[in-house]
Amino acid sequence: MNTFTKNIYLFWQGTILSYRALFAWLRPVTYMASKILMPLAQMFFFVFLGSYATDGTATDFYVIGNAIQITAVSGIFGVTFSVGGDRDAGTLPYLFGTPANRFMIFFGRAFMHVIDGTIGVIIALTWGVLLMGLDLSRTDLPALGLTIIITTFSTCGLGLLMGCLSLLTANVMFVNNFVYFSLLIFSGANVAISTLPVWMQVVSNVLPLTRGIAASRMLVAGGSLSDVFPLMVSEIGIGLMYGLLGYFLFAWFETQAKQRGTLETV
Amino acid sequence: MNAIEVNHLRRVYRAQIGVFNRSIKEVVAVDDISFEVKQGELFGLLGPNGAGKTTTVKMLTTLLIPSAGSATVAGVDVVKGANEVRKKIGFIFGGERGLYWRLSGDDNLRYFASLYGVDPSVSKKRIPYLMELVGLKGRGNERVGGYSRGMKQRLHVARTLLHDPDILFLDEPTIGLDPVGAREFRNVILDLQSQKKTILLTTHYMFEADALSDRIAIINKGCVIAMDTPSGLKKHVSDLSVVEVETFGASETALEKLRALPFVDSLSIEDREQKQILLVQTTRGAEAVPDVMTALEGQRVGRVIVREPTLEDAYVRLVGGAA
Repeated sequence: MNTFTKNIYLFWQGTILSYRALFAWLRPVTYMASKILMPLAQMFFFVFLGSYATDGTATDFYVIGNAIQITAVSGIFGVTFSVGGDRDAGTLPYLFGTPANRFMIFFGRAFMHVIDGTIGVIIALTWGVLLMGLDLSRTDLPALGLTIIITTFSTCGLGLLMGCLSLLTANVMFVNNFVYFSLLIFSGANVAISTLPVWMQVVSNVLPLTRGIAASRMLVAGGSLSDVFPLMVSEIGIGLMYGLLGYFLFAWFETQAKQRGTLETV
Repeated sequence: MNAIEVNHLRRVYRAQIGVFNRSIKEVVAVDDISFEVKQGELFGLLGPNGAGKTTTVKMLTTLLIPSAGSATVAGVDVVKGANEVRKKIGFIFGGERGLYWRLSGDDNLRYFASLYGVDPSVSKKRIPYLMELVGLKGRGNERVGGYSRGMKQRLHVARTLLHDPDILFLDEPTIGLDPVGAREFRNVILDLQSQKKTILLTTHYMFEADALSDRIAIINKGCVIAMDTPSGLKKHVSDLSVVEVETFGASETALEKLRALPFVDSLSIEDREQKQILLVQTTRGAEAVPDVMTALEGQRVGRVIVREPTLEDAYVRLVGGAA
């Protein structure tokens, strides 16, 4: 087995096992409930609140926005716990004591959550179609699928950065909640970005999800892949930027921990 | 070539103190340590808490960068060639943490095998072999969270052998194990020793170090204060005998009287539930007993024996037991 194949194997093992380590304690029924009911609760809350506020004229706006935003559950919470779980398990010294490729270890932790987040969005959109009148008859479904995957990928990039923060502090749950709920506003899921104050629009533009939600709305309204292509390229760029920032923070953390002797005190 | 060479290793920790008037406090964990470990040797590292044992092991396992000095493991510098060193060593830090508790024992080993770049076809055969070696045969599908402490520590041994390293660092591997578990663990170490693995073992248990080690270094306050075979170290106390006195709530005044006796080299006390065992090191052997009993007059005293010194007695003398 050459180095490349070994690294792919490491990536695959990391992605499968870290995901199982995170959710294996749940019974299948509990796991499915978390995947099906949680999106439904968020959709109900914001869609009916938004519809009430707009006299039912903008239901699709809230359905699509919240369905796509659901990906942040996997992208932010899931990825953070997958990376930060090593801190709680006390496995960091054993992880950093191996010769394994750090890039593969790091990004391997996020991969399964891209799939998981994509499934979460599909479930949420299904609720939208079945219960909230979302019409996908004019939608380029493959393009929408691609948009969902890319948006989930970019959100996982932010999750990787948050995961690294969780190696530095025990209070990352607070930060995670802050980011998750901020995304409900800043990503445009529930408020049109053009109506936000300028400084909030600036923040929106450097966050994942923003372009993904905008692109999804365009596709559901009948837009084509070429219409949303620029948004998708930017979304990938945003995801890579956060993912790489997270990776460099991860590498910096390892170096600092070895220099300062803080590997076990984090 | 020696398996491990340590030259004037030093490690200083720096900690910031204060919020507004910040100052740096330096703590010297390892001051100046040098030793060599031959290939296939089981080398014990003994010392009191805070002596620098774990810090030394961390530097040798590439988890901590030395402040000064150098060390090579398998002929490779631990700082410049850290990744090469990692391929050739395995290590365990005492305790049950460091495993993914929500995964099964087999899954833990599978993941660590991939981290060490072990070919999947090799790890497929090696994992059941190692589980059997550490006495966990048939338990590989169970979640680690349900394992006993001893099982977790044995799983650590299996983990550290996945890539078949030649050099092992075992930092207090039997800490917290019950006597049966600790004995089983020592048998695993003996088995590894018979496979010609080089082992650096740190422990607080003197009998363990005595039974397992080819050579021992005793470190105190970050420096090596003695290095020899177990029998060589015992020669440091060959002039001494130990009077063991069982007492029940001996007063501090009585202990002070005992310490003040001119022939008492050192006195250490072991608490065992309601009783204390006073270990009086003396050059006078059995002749010291009457004076010892006089010093303990009025105290409740049980069994009294005079015995030859052990490695522990040598250790107590070398690190400066409460004389």
